[in-house]
Amino acid sequence: MSIKVWAFSESPEVANELAAAADAVAKPAGGGVTVIGVNGTGPRLAGGAKLILRGPDSLSGSPELLAEALCRVAKEADPDVILVGSTKNGKEVAARLAVKLGRSCASDVFGLNVTDAALRGKRNAFAGKLVADVSVPLPCVATVKVGAYPALAPSAAAGAEKEVGELTPRTRLVERREKPRGTVDLKGAKLIVAAGRGFKKKEDLVLASDLAAELGGAVGCSRPLSSDMGWLPEEHHIGLTGVTVHPDLYLAVGISGQLQHVAGIKDSKVIAAVNNDKSAPIFEASDYGIVGDLYAVLPAMAKEIRGRRH
Amino acid sequence: MKIAVCVKHAIDEAELKVDQAGNPQLAGAASKMSTFDKNAVEEALRLKAAQTGDVTVLTVGTADAKKTMKEALAMGADRGILVTADPMSISTGRTAELLAAAVRKAGPFDVVLCSEGSSDIYSGLVPPMLGELLGLPYVGYARKVEVAGKSAKVERSLEDSVEVVEAPIPLVISVVSEINEPRYPTLIQIMQAGKKPMEELAPDSILPGSKPSPPLFAAMKAQAMARKKVVFEGPPEETARKLVDALASEGVLPR
Repeated sequence: MSIKVWAFSESPEVANELAAAADAVAKPAGGGVTVIGVNGTGPRLAGGAKLILRGPDSLSGSPELLAEALCRVAKEADPDVILVGSTKNGKEVAARLAVKLGRSCASDVFGLNVTDAALRGKRNAFAGKLVADVSVPLPCVATVKVGAYPALAPSAAAGAEKEVGELTPRTRLVERREKPRGTVDLKGAKLIVAAGRGFKKKEDLVLASDLAAELGGAVGCSRPLSSDMGWLPEEHHIGLTGVTVHPDLYLAVGISGQLQHVAGIKDSKVIAAVNNDKSAPIFEASDYGIVGDLYAVLPAMAKEIRGRRH
Repeated sequence: MKIAVCVKHAIDEAELKVDQAGNPQLAGAASKMSTFDKNAVEEALRLKAAQTGDVTVLTVGTADAKKTMKEALAMGADRGILVTADPMSISTGRTAELLAAAVRKAGPFDVVLCSEGSSDIYSGLVPPMLGELLGLPYVGYARKVEVAGKSAKVERSLEDSVEVVEAPIPLVISVVSEINEPRYPTLIQIMQAGKKPMEELAPDSILPGSKPSPPLFAAMKAQAMARKKVVFEGPPEETARKLVDALASEGVLPR
């Protein structure tokens, strides 16, 4: 069976991961891949065949308009599988598109192939405690977990352009501002020191940031510190509903290790934890742990690391 | 203002047990209101308090889902609607269709609220599907919602940016958990919740003749989580040295 697979993300970087995912799906089935871009992103995209949607400037930032534009071109070309990068906006695009086209839709899938007229793969469930087999009958839409496939390099292919026609948004963007970033991007950080409820007050977080500075790493936190206490901006929140990280070393300090937090750190190479409660679930999710008072352990670790450098 | 809030009665991910072979014990597992749905209920109650209005809580679930319904009623919702179907045995799209049909039947509503995703599967597809199926504007991942007159101003929390979006009423909104701190019902509220109206709707009565589509998930297995679980105890200087030794030999410390 020869199948047509589309790869789309509003972010060109994620679109190039999707190009790899689409290759993995299409090639064994003898199918073809088209990478879909928006308004002049063509040169930044991977893939041999590209289709660049041309529409208003607001198109790439509006999941509402993107879904409508993709629906129009998909109705003409009728791809068997439409893969969308599983960003927040990407999930909205996919869900809307699936309804518009009357297709089945799954989200956050990885490990994909097409067998017996269905897109098959896996997805995490129950905050990462389980992994589920997913099977979506063709034709379908699916969002692919970000980071599940290494991105392909952009190609020279110019790609065809397609005018999407008149689009009428029902929501109005008043303002868009970048979230404040820490000194290091958590998603790309090699080393992360993350703080949790074990810290008694905001000022004490300096213990975590000092150690992170000593190690050349970034500071993150569990949800209560950003959402409930407001001690760190939301962008530092690591977990299911926050940032997913994959550093070489993840050091969880004063974090109990709720499932939602652990779901965001599973792909770390080494996980270490410091907690004064020996029964804290974080120790079950860690390679190394210290049962002890973080107020004594962190300065001792910083001293130990400093000492080895000389 | 008439507000609908969609919730899910879900297996408690923290309590879910897995047997030796890695198979989850789903039958008879502890269940609860999906974690983030409490934020959606809280936001509905805050919108109700800011204006005047009432809150209808809707769910697709089995008889067990009445527990979640009662919890939302105890928090302050005014009435409940249970669409009797097991969300674990139908597709995500079917769940959205049933919710949309129930919203249509019980409405019209000015605002339909959801959380960003359920704490069991966390697919995040139902809220935008609901907007699309109802033909209403949809704004996802709200961390702030203000309704004035016939329009809503919503702050969306995306990965790297914050957007302020205006949309006309009626609309569908999904909220992120940092939007608020859900309230705990008082004992009196819990006792009174049982007296609030709760209606059951059979799928056939709201979507006659339609066929339920099967779930897209098959076998679920425990995630392999092979961590070393080495724990050091003792004086801080000693445990710190042991941990730094271990991390150095793993090659994860900067040289």
